Amino acid sequence: MRDTYHDQLDAIVQDLFQMSQLVARGVTQATAALTRADLALAEQVIEGDDAINALYRGVETQAFDLLARQQPVAGDLRVLVTSLRIVVDLERAGDYVVHLAKIARRRHPASAVPDALRGTVLEMGQTAQQILDKTGTVIATRDLELAAELEVDDDAMDALQKRLFTLVLQDGGQDIEAAIDATLAGRYYERLADHAVAVGHRVTYMVTGEHAEV
Amino acid sequence: MAKRIEAVDLDAYYGGFRAIEGVTLTIEPKSITALIGPSGCGKSTFLRTINRMHEVLPGARVTGQLLLDDEDVYGPGVDPVGVRRAIGMVFQRPNPFPTMSIYDNVVAGLRLNGVKKKGDLDDAAEQSLRSANLWNEVKDRLGKPGAGLSGGQQQRLCIARAVAVEPQVLLMDEPCSALDPISTLAIEDLMTELKDRYTIIIVTHNMQQAARVSDRTGFFTIDGPGTPGRLVEIDETPKIFSNPSEKRTEDYITGRFG
Repeated sequence: MRDTYHDQLDAIVQDLFQMSQLVARGVTQATAALTRADLALAEQVIEGDDAINALYRGVETQAFDLLARQQPVAGDLRVLVTSLRIVVDLERAGDYVVHLAKIARRRHPASAVPDALRGTVLEMGQTAQQILDKTGTVIATRDLELAAELEVDDDAMDALQKRLFTLVLQDGGQDIEAAIDATLAGRYYERLADHAVAVGHRVTYMVTGEHAEV
Repeated sequence: MAKRIEAVDLDAYYGGFRAIEGVTLTIEPKSITALIGPSGCGKSTFLRTINRMHEVLPGARVTGQLLLDDEDVYGPGVDPVGVRRAIGMVFQRPNPFPTMSIYDNVVAGLRLNGVKKKGDLDDAAEQSLRSANLWNEVKDRLGKPGAGLSGGQQQRLCIARAVAVEPQVLLMDEPCSALDPISTLAIEDLMTELKDRYTIIIVTHNMQQAARVSDRTGFFTIDGPGTPGRLVEIDETPKIFSNPSEKRTEDYITGRFG
């Protein structure tokens, strides 16, 4: 019954999953662009945000249409309202990826990341990618145990950010521009992970109807 | 073949009373158009002008043009019976012929049109009942009275009866208002399937139903008692229910009047 409507609901969730994958791929590429001073890759990431934004607008339009026309209730209503919030988190996450790529582009042909920080930045990039991959799985499978794991993963990201700041301070402020870029990059990775945690909370609410502890 | 409908400056009268005034709209083939509006706004009257059912009442008449693929159904020499054959109708209360079996109900129109071969009638009956999503429920009791079915089944039987004669347009006047919510959703699903082949126009008091099933929605209203109904606007259904152009439409669908 009401097959078309339920297909449209599923399509929205599918789009959210696709957005999470694009952001995950973007953060890996942005990290490579940052640590290798790869201008072409940085440009590719920046342009790639258009696809994420198109999905964002598509989900918003679709959800609006279903809300206006289908009188969603109960679980369906939670899927729609939650999707409207998840899509904002993912869009923002996509913007942080762009910010990372823009640091790489601004500093090209120099590398934005000094040697002393490269290992930590690479680790933050890997952690971000894993978190976003997991976020996609949480969206697609509604696995609440995985959703809860995102909190722990975020703690790891926070620890990396702390380590990055410590390293920046140890440098003694000789290269202020590099210090600012590294601090900003650290902040972008950290915010990315926070949005992933928020998605985890929202999926938990979508499934259970109970708000997660924030 | 599904046909396109175009009304041009259409007025409909009951004796001296003008029930609708100046309706101009176009309905594309293979689409579902919903007509909504408060009671007495003329939406059912408009529906009944499309297949010349309006003029059946004494003193009722129509002015203006009603084109079915460019042919004026009110043109000189046009046979109203032929119009009604091309434009099927389903009513508010399921109205199967009470003394007829399920089978006879479905093929009644075909028999009237002179189809006699049993094989042809059998094929048409199965085909139509399948189209109406009723076949599996009734295939073992085709000889039983149609009146013995549930309300939702009876309404689907009436839809099967309407599509059996392969009309070009299907008019539905409040087809679900006497049905429970599940039967209602079954009819709505059925409409979505039927629109691949027919032009469907549905009059409904249930705005949510209009929002769910239709591609386009037209809003009719009256300015006050005794004034004729008018078409306020007709547009894509998502537009009507998210950002209508006319304030009167917005007021109606948000429950501020009507």
